[in-house]
Amino acid sequence: MNITPTEAEEALKAIQVITKKTRRAISSSGAYTFLIVWGVVWLLGFLNSQFLPVEIAGNVWIVLDILGGILSVILGVRISRGVRSFAPPTSGKRIAIFWLLLFFYCFATISIVWPLDTKQMAMFIILFVMVGWIAMGLLLSLASVWWGLSLTALALFGYFLLPGIFYLWMSILGGGGMVTLGLYIRYRW
Amino acid sequence: MAELNEIIHQPVRLRIMAALMALSPADEVDFNYLRDLLDVTDGNLGAHLRKLEEAGYITVNKLFIERKPRTFISASAKGRRAFKEHVAALESILKSKK
Repeated sequence: MNITPTEAEEALKAIQVITKKTRRAISSSGAYTFLIVWGVVWLLGFLNSQFLPVEIAGNVWIVLDILGGILSVILGVRISRGVRSFAPPTSGKRIAIFWLLLFFYCFATISIVWPLDTKQMAMFIILFVMVGWIAMGLLLSLASVWWGLSLTALALFGYFLLPGIFYLWMSILGGGGMVTLGLYIRYRW
Repeated sequence: MAELNEIIHQPVRLRIMAALMALSPADEVDFNYLRDLLDVTDGNLGAHLRKLEEAGYITVNKLFIERKPRTFISASAKGRRAFKEHVAALESILKSKK
């Protein structure tokens, strides 16, 4: 079989295009949609913590978390419809158990050190979520470990050095950062 | 030197293999998902998948999920090797031009 260099170039381009499209649509589609969903939850949640009274802010957080959870389940089901993995099904279950245990440990830790002010509680939850994020990164995608570490550093910086605008800081840099990262993966990765 | 592969070189089959190669070897993709991704018709995709399956380049897994028939496709080890060789052959043609 003989083809011209131009035909070879076109074939390689076609491969590149479809590889990129597939990676976006299948391989990493989960990561960016979850990042955008939870980025929006953080953005709105922390924004409401900054500007609304504590009682209202707490309720808004509950609603946002429930919405984020429902959307995540819907997205997870949609993604799994397209691609199945031969990897042992126990992996998914173990990851779910890990997150449940992590939230339990977070709740237990907060209960032990109670009373906390709302900023301290937010920081505890952020730190536990970041531990989970980094653990997932170490298991599934090393690159995301750096994002987890960066968000942790941003959160600590805001907590200790910018207490007056901590929530606004977390809303814009934490939530906004997650949305930006999600969009970056979607359009540029 | 790597040889061009006539079965894989056909444009739709090339795109099918490229899409499957972008997945982890442990993953398989749903027929409808692949059809939408490649923007081809059911019949067209089915015909090309048969060719690739006959060559042993892909594995087609038909099963029932929630009582509905579903077809999942993945690249076989043989298909992955053949695709890599084909890409190497394309690259060597390009290099020889320069």
